[in-house]
Amino acid sequence: MFDVPVGQGPVHLTLRMGPKLTRPVPAEVTEALLSAQITATAGERSGFQLAFDLTKNGLINRALLPEGFFDPKTRIIVSVSVKGTADVLLDGLIVRQEVGASNQPGHSTLTVTGEDLSLLMDLEERTDRYPNLPPSDRVLAILRRYSDYGIRPDVYKEKVAQPPHQDLRVHYQTGTDLQYVTELARANGYTFYLEPGPTPGRSSARWGPEIRLGIRQHALNVNMDNNSTVDQLTFSYDGTAREEPQARWQDPGTRVSTLLPQPPISPLRPPLGRRPTPALKRRTLSGTAKQQREQAEAELLARAAVSADVISGSGSLDVNRHGYILQPRQLVGVRGAGRAYDGDYYVKSVTHTLRPGSYQQNFTVSREGLEARSAYVRP
Amino acid sequence: MADIEPYENALDAIPGAHPYPRSSRYHDADIGIHRQADGTEVRYTKRRLLPPLPPQPEAGDAQDESRTHTVSAGDRPDLLGRRYFGDPAQWWQIADANPVLDPRELTDEAGQVIDVPLPGNGGERRV
Repeated sequence: MFDVPVGQGPVHLTLRMGPKLTRPVPAEVTEALLSAQITATAGERSGFQLAFDLTKNGLINRALLPEGFFDPKTRIIVSVSVKGTADVLLDGLIVRQEVGASNQPGHSTLTVTGEDLSLLMDLEERTDRYPNLPPSDRVLAILRRYSDYGIRPDVYKEKVAQPPHQDLRVHYQTGTDLQYVTELARANGYTFYLEPGPTPGRSSARWGPEIRLGIRQHALNVNMDNNSTVDQLTFSYDGTAREEPQARWQDPGTRVSTLLPQPPISPLRPPLGRRPTPALKRRTLSGTAKQQREQAEAELLARAAVSADVISGSGSLDVNRHGYILQPRQLVGVRGAGRAYDGDYYVKSVTHTLRPGSYQQNFTVSREGLEARSAYVRP
Repeated sequence: MADIEPYENALDAIPGAHPYPRSSRYHDADIGIHRQADGTEVRYTKRRLLPPLPPQPEAGDAQDESRTHTVSAGDRPDLLGRRYFGDPAQWWQIADANPVLDPRELTDEAGQVIDVPLPGNGGERRV
């Protein structure tokens, strides 16, 4: 890749910036980009850090920085195309900037740090009531407020239906929109995250189960001589991570409290490993007795499902060698790690590190049992 | 689109439902289902419409959407794809930007100027 002239390699990066609607940045800004680091995690906010070369008489130092081009709440979109196929990696807002002025020429840098667009939902505290709305309707009502940033809701009905009853209880929101939506997702075993793309300026807000079915991404090869695409891959099996929650629920009519039955988690999380791991710990959920029965059941299911992932792996890969961008929050196959650890995994988080001439990814994957269910992975 | 999907939809993606990889020009094409006389269903790829061409830039306006290439002797569409996108199989992006019927028309005459879209401009693609 180093022998290819600038602008003709297989990896191209496009930066767009602007207050709410973005446009491509001047060529000087792209040329000054020293490194970009973008982290995307399932169920959490994504973050980014971009470093620019701050030349003394360059365009950034002379005009753009004083004019507020890099001010907080400026929107920034990073898209990368590998071999002509474009992917939006980030759609976020700048939160802080740091200027490191150095005595040595060429060592002054401007670093901007920020988070993805869900920061917008975390800015303002709000108290609101949602009478007679089930959780997914409440999430949809909240997400509609952010459509002018191109956020498209992708909301699914909850697994355990919770019919609302405004004579019994009216649901209140305290705190920010993001806190409330994340809390609702956690109570149902779902995740909430913003997925940038498919085109720059748009993103979809997913409130639903993790994507653990469907087409796998191109497999990660390790320990396969010149066919290996991953530099290193470490697996760990934490036996105490999985716990079996128990919940009691009290019938308000008869005052009899019953122990709720253990729900099967496979509809929420289809198994990826052949040998499921046993739950070593057992703990009791607090506060479920006074909830509605459906709510308590949903919370029991959510706790059982979230703690099921006991096997986690982490590693790094070079996109040039792998040939594809590894996307977070999807399934991927692993081969070459031995009989116990081969097979399909869920990609929990990915950190993209881009520099001129290199594109590295660090990732973590997880699943709930040893041994692959299928004899093949998608190559 | 701002609707709540039933829970079952979240996990019902059929593996292999869309046979084309993301780098293919048919990735965005709709898949139709034809029902034969005996009731069997056959999947087929629907006709693919070209994405709209970008408007002609005014004089002095910054060219954001594409750059130009002057054809020289020995150029071929796949060589241009290799040169501008890093992948010879991406020549169709250049053919889309200069609507031609036959991709060989792109590089027929040395000296003619063709548009090359910038990589990373997602355009109208969906995932």
